[in-house]
Amino acid sequence: MRILLIEDEAPLREELVGRMRAEGFAVDAAGDGEEGLYYGLEYPIDVAVVDLGLPKLSGMEVIARLREADRKFPILILTARDAWQEKVAGLEAGADDYLVKPFVIEELMARINALVRRSAGWARAELEAGPYKLDTAAQTLAVEGEPVELTSYEYKVLEYLLLHAGEVISKMRLTEHIYDEDFERDSNVIEVFIGRLRRKIDPDGVWKPIETLRGRGYRFRQFDRERA
Amino acid sequence: MRSLTQRLLLAATAVLILFLGSMGLILDAAIRDSLAKAVRERLQAHVYTLLAVAEVTPDGALLMPDELPEARFSRPDSGLYARIAGQGFDWQSPSSMGENPQLPVQPLAPGEVEFLEQADIGPEEAFVLRQGLAWEVDDGDQAFVIVVAEHERVFNAQVAEFRRTLWIWIGAGAALLLLVQLWIMRWGIRPVRVLAAELDDIKRGHAERIRRAYPRELELLTESLNAFITSERENLDRYRNRLSDLAHSLKTPLAVLRAALEGRDDGGEVITQIDRMDELVGYQLKRARAAGHLTLSQPVSIERHAEQIAGSLEKVHAEKQVACSFEIDPGAAFHGERGDLLELLGNLLDNAFKWCRREVVLTAVVLPAGTALRPGIRILVEDDGPGIAEDEVERVVRRGVRGDEQVPGHGIGLAIVGEIVDMYGGRIDIGRSDLGGARVTVEFPPR
Repeated sequence: MRILLIEDEAPLREELVGRMRAEGFAVDAAGDGEEGLYYGLEYPIDVAVVDLGLPKLSGMEVIARLREADRKFPILILTARDAWQEKVAGLEAGADDYLVKPFVIEELMARINALVRRSAGWARAELEAGPYKLDTAAQTLAVEGEPVELTSYEYKVLEYLLLHAGEVISKMRLTEHIYDEDFERDSNVIEVFIGRLRRKIDPDGVWKPIETLRGRGYRFRQFDRERA
Repeated sequence: MRSLTQRLLLAATAVLILFLGSMGLILDAAIRDSLAKAVRERLQAHVYTLLAVAEVTPDGALLMPDELPEARFSRPDSGLYARIAGQGFDWQSPSSMGENPQLPVQPLAPGEVEFLEQADIGPEEAFVLRQGLAWEVDDGDQAFVIVVAEHERVFNAQVAEFRRTLWIWIGAGAALLLLVQLWIMRWGIRPVRVLAAELDDIKRGHAERIRRAYPRELELLTESLNAFITSERENLDRYRNRLSDLAHSLKTPLAVLRAALEGRDDGGEVITQIDRMDELVGYQLKRARAAGHLTLSQPVSIERHAEQIAGSLEKVHAEKQVACSFEIDPGAAFHGERGDLLELLGNLLDNAFKWCRREVVLTAVVLPAGTALRPGIRILVEDDGPGIAEDEVERVVRRGVRGDEQVPGHGIGLAIVGEIVDMYGGRIDIGRSDLGGARVTVEFPPR
C-alpha cells in the first residue's frame, strides 16, 4: 500500500513515517501542501493522510484539488482544529475520515487500514477468499483456519492482490504500491516475494491463488468472493 | 409620550388652535367694529334724510310729512326710531308707537354729534345718534336735537351670523390643516417606520442587513447599524480563527510528544498527562468558541446542517452502515450562530453514531413563537445503543468530565452541548429512547 503523508510538523512526520514503514506501507511524505499535492497527483497513491494546517497550500485546498483531478484514493484528515464547522468542511471537500490531534497512532493505523479496505469495496475488516482469511485489523492471515506467519512486505503484497482480486496487477503497479520511491526497483524482487508467498500460503499447490499472466502481471484468483 | 407622530401632532394641534383661535377673536372684534361703524353711518344718513323732509314754519313749528323717506320710521315696532325735539315741539316717528322707546333729547350744542352704543331706550338696548342743530327763524336761531335710534337686535343678528360663518370657516380650515399636517407627518416619518420594520425583519431573522435607501438624516444611522451587524459577525469569525490557531499551535506539539512517547515503555504516565492536557485544552477552546446569542442573526436551517453532519458521519462511520433518519418540521430553524448549531448537532449526532447499533433518529419540532419574536425549537437525538445509565447522566453533562474513556472525545461532547444550550437559555435532558438507547433532548424556548 502506498501512503501519502502530508504533515508540516517534522518530528511528528518522522514518527509517523517510521511507524507506517514498520507496518509495511510505502510512504511518500511531504512537509507542505504544494509538495503533497505534487505527490498526490503524480504517484499511484492508495491512501492519503493530510494535515489541514499546512504551509504554502492548505490541506483543504490539497484535498479539493486532488478530487478535482479525479484522484479517488481515500483521504484521512489530521487536524488540531476540532470545530465541527471545520470537520464538516473537510469531509465535504472530499476527505473520508478525520482524526483530531493529538491521536493514538494505533487508531490512525486502524483508520487507514479501514479506509483502504473500504475503498476497495470490502466492508468488513476480514477479507475472505476461498480458504484465505486476511484480518486487516490484526494484520494476520489464516489458511483454512490455520494462522500463517507473513513478513510485513509479504502481507502487503497479499493484501494488495486480495483487495484487487480478479484484476490483473502488473509487476510495475505492485512495485509502486508496495515500495517507496527510494527503494531500488527491481522486478526480480517482486518475483521472489510472489514465489515465497505462494510457498507460504499454498504449500501443497492445491488452490493456486496467485496466477501469473505472462508479460502482464499477477492476478489473485476469484474464489466465490464475499463482499459484505 | 412614546410615538413621534403623537408628539408632533400634539404640538402642531396646539399651535394651530392657538393661532386660529386668536385670529378668529381679532377678526371678530374688527368686524364688530366695522359693523358698528356702518350702523353709525346709516343712522347719520337717516338724520340727513329726516332733516331733508322736515319743514319749519316761520313761527318755529315743525312739520313732518306723513310719508317718511324710510318706511321703517312709519312702521310701529320696526326697531328704527326718530325724535326731533326743540323749543315748542317734540316729534316722534310713528314707529315709536306701541313700544314707546325713550329717546334721550337732552340739548346738544348745534353741530355736535353724539353716538351711543347699548343705550337703554327700552325695551331693549339700541344704537343712538344724536345731533344738535339750529334753525334760522324770524326771531333768531332756534336750537333743537334730532335723535335716531336703532335697536341692536338687527346688528346682533348680523354679528351672530357673521360669527357663525367665521367660526365655521376657521373650524373647517383647522380640520383641513390638521389633516394635511397628519399626512405630512406620516410622510415625513415614513422612512423611520420603514426602518423600524426592516430592523424587525432582521431581528426575526428574515433579513441580513438594512437594504433600502434612506434620507440623509437617517443614512448615518443605517450605515452604523449595518457596520455593527457586519462587525459582530466579523469579530466572531476573527475571534474563532484565533482560537483555531491557538488550538492548532497547542495541539500539534502535544501530538508530536504523544507520538514520540508511544513507542517507549516508560511513556505511560506522561501520555496520560498529555491526554489530560489535550482534553482540557480542547474543552476550554470549544467553550470559548461558542458564540451564544447574537443580537441580529439569521435563522439557521436545522435540516440543511443536520444533513451536512449526518453526511460527514456516514462517511466516517461507513463500516457501521448506520440508518440515520430525520423527522424535521418544515422550516425548523435555530435562531443563533451557525457554528454553534454545527457544534451542537455534531456532538449529539457523533455520540449517537458512535454508540448506536444500527439506528439514529433526529427529530426537530418547532415551538410556536406565540407572543415572542422568534419561535423556539426542540431537538431530539436518539439511538438504539446501550444508552446512558441514570447515575451517569450527571457526570456526562458535568463540565469537562469525560463520560467514557474508551472512545476518545466522547466525554466533552455532551458537556459542550450543555454549555451551548446554557448560552441560549435552553435546557438539556438526557433520557432513554424508545429505540432502546440514549435520547438527548435540547430545547430552546421561543424568545
